[in-house]
Amino acid sequence: MTTWEGLLYGIGFALQPAVLIYCVLGVVLGTFVGVLPGIGAMAAISLLLPITYYITPEAALIMLAGVYYGAQYGGSVASILMRLPGTPQSAVTSLDGYPLARQGRAGVALFTAMASSFAGSMIGIAVLVTLAGWLSHAATAFGAADYAAMMILGLVAASTIGSSSPAKGFAMVVLGLLLGCVGTDVNSGVQRFTFGRTELLDGINLVALAMGLFGVAEVIANVRDPDRQGVTERIGGRQLLPRRDDLKRLPGPMLRGSALGSFFGALPGTGSTLSSFLAYALERRVSRTPERFGEGAIEGVSAPESANNAAAISAFVPTLTLGIPGDPIMALMLGALVIHGVQPGPLMLEARPEMFWGLVASFGIGNLLLLVLNLPLIGIWVAMLRIPFRWLYPAILIFLCLGVYSVRGLSFDILAVAAIGLAGYLLALARFSPALLLLGFVLGPLIETNLRRALLIGRGDPMVFLDRPIAAGFVLATVGLLALSLVQVWRRRRAR
Amino acid sequence: MTLRMTRRSALACAVALTALPTAATAEDAWPTAPLHVYVGFPAGSSPDTLTRIVTEPLAQRLGQPVVVENKPGAGGVIGVQQMLANAGDGLSFATTINGPLTTAARLMKSTGYDVATDIAPVTLIATSPLVLAVSASSDFTDLESFIAAAGTEPEFLSYGSVGQGSGAHLTAELFADAAGVSLLHIPFTSYAEVTTSIVGGEIDAGFMAPSAALPQVEAGRMRMLGITSAEPFPQAPDVPVLAGRAGLPADFRAELWNAFIAPAGTDPAIIARLNTEIGAILADPEVQQKLLAIGWQAAPGTPGELADRIAADTAMWGAVIDRVAAKP
Repeated sequence: MTTWEGLLYGIGFALQPAVLIYCVLGVVLGTFVGVLPGIGAMAAISLLLPITYYITPEAALIMLAGVYYGAQYGGSVASILMRLPGTPQSAVTSLDGYPLARQGRAGVALFTAMASSFAGSMIGIAVLVTLAGWLSHAATAFGAADYAAMMILGLVAASTIGSSSPAKGFAMVVLGLLLGCVGTDVNSGVQRFTFGRTELLDGINLVALAMGLFGVAEVIANVRDPDRQGVTERIGGRQLLPRRDDLKRLPGPMLRGSALGSFFGALPGTGSTLSSFLAYALERRVSRTPERFGEGAIEGVSAPESANNAAAISAFVPTLTLGIPGDPIMALMLGALVIHGVQPGPLMLEARPEMFWGLVASFGIGNLLLLVLNLPLIGIWVAMLRIPFRWLYPAILIFLCLGVYSVRGLSFDILAVAAIGLAGYLLALARFSPALLLLGFVLGPLIETNLRRALLIGRGDPMVFLDRPIAAGFVLATVGLLALSLVQVWRRRRAR
Repeated sequence: MTLRMTRRSALACAVALTALPTAATAEDAWPTAPLHVYVGFPAGSSPDTLTRIVTEPLAQRLGQPVVVENKPGAGGVIGVQQMLANAGDGLSFATTINGPLTTAARLMKSTGYDVATDIAPVTLIATSPLVLAVSASSDFTDLESFIAAAGTEPEFLSYGSVGQGSGAHLTAELFADAAGVSLLHIPFTSYAEVTTSIVGGEIDAGFMAPSAALPQVEAGRMRMLGITSAEPFPQAPDVPVLAGRAGLPADFRAELWNAFIAPAGTDPAIIARLNTEIGAILADPEVQQKLLAIGWQAAPGTPGELADRIAADTAMWGAVIDRVAAKP
């Protein structure tokens, strides 16, 4: 089956009413769980799993996938309107989306997020169809040394975003790295900073950390300062749409973000988080007016949203072509297939073409549906800001607790989110950037594990980072980036 | 004919209904409310799917819903802890892999429970052997060539596992010790990562669940050199058993298992009832097929047999942990 035949076949398959209905169900549900702070795709898919026993495996996969990428759309809503990102990816979107909302341009920010999400997904689908073979090769070619070098580059490249001063940004990255140390060390099995609590053996719950640092901290800040409810924008059709100069800014971030997202998403591990941070960092670097970032730059919304949606699509590459799930949600979806007796693996494409092409076609259909669904909803989302805080915030806190609890079902995590929220508020008072803490927290354990694993496999020889071409490339890029930053600092000093 | 209920027959019905519970014995009345079965792994994982395959018919047989509660974390220990936290209602149970009942107490500072005094075994559900897998592009075509290469120098060959103290790690160390070789351990966190690393040529081998290796084997990317069960495994019948080959002892055997447990102090009648019902469920060929499809072979037994298995495996893996800890 050629690509075109496959695609046509897939579209025919996915448009069957019995399949389409599950696609619609998936994306609608995905949007809503994405909007609700803390309740993510993982929780929704876990809940839906028993239902999938009663439908065909193709419909099940299409529905669960719809929840997965649909949640990426919804995730930006609370992030932009209230600085309540449910996931690390959408945390990046809040860096500029939230300032835009506070300037009364929430509609524009949401429109940008939706349009960029759609663009990212479509580019991601094109990449999936044309480059799946090459990307799946990349996924196995990447070894521990390559991952470690790549993530160090990511950490260095993104370590100054969203921070008022480099020193404060650095402090937050380091704090994030330290918090990432909590839990059982993969390499030695030693339990670090767990204080004898079994709940901490697998580390601090990522959702609790993100919701505490952003959500709870923001709620406390607003309660302490009632005057902050300044956004009472009346939404007319005109205000939803970006201005002409906004539109001109969009194609670049969309393309660059999608390219980054498509590539990093295909790598098992933390592709999508890294890609949205990197896309943001890249936009700021290529921008002629980098000082606008963090103050409501529309590129700062567009790039990460394009990146995380492209990554959500290309994350299916290793899952479908290698049978290797890149993250826990993918593993869950594969689990759903196994229940149906479908063995995911390298041969799935040949053995069950209707599954592969049907899914790919459903991505396109699902994203179109999401765009159609979400654009009219923008007005409603923005209207939510006019709900008095005394009603809105208790509701947010309840959803947030539900979301955190839904991850592991442990009340410990709810206490954790309260404690982290308080700490997050204190950090925000001192103008420290929680986004960088999150970056350090996500990348730290991955860098450590892969670095030590690479050295272990290399029998202790540090040359493994230079012998492998991929790793060497990332090391060179990191050194280059550091040199560039130093030169910039030196020039600025001399100019004074 | 129309059905008419006279006052007398209505009264008779009412008397009969109220009399029913008193006429029946306590065991027959149990359960009067939904059961909760705790699983220390996330929804969709292999231990979770296994549990649902068993609890669905169990609910029908008991006439009460069985709620599967996923409490993932700490290698399954949190699931057992959550069952114990809810003990006392006669309705909280758990399924667990062998780790939390055998090796966890050795690997963690504190599990918060003592298997001997806090856990009442109900029945073994199923067992799963591990296969020794290598990359198809490697030179190792059989067990003999693998062991010969491993013997050239200590830690010449490396293997991946799903974590320090995991079944995959301890099985590999048990194997290396029995074969008289020393292998370099590279811990990962999932079979997906181990498989990628083997296929990518970064590490040499790994012990893994047959269902993790089979798709890669069918695609011609991996080869299976042997299996740790005493008999060939139905899911991969062509893979030879390791026992008795290449200098390995004839009784070499290492299996993971999954069991149904209750909190200590649970009414023995309830345990006996559950043991009978689950035994009957596992005798159903359709259930056996479903389990086999996800890599588990049904292996029901008595509560006493499970208790013996826990004790024997705790001793066997404890000795392996001692050896690993003593390594320089």
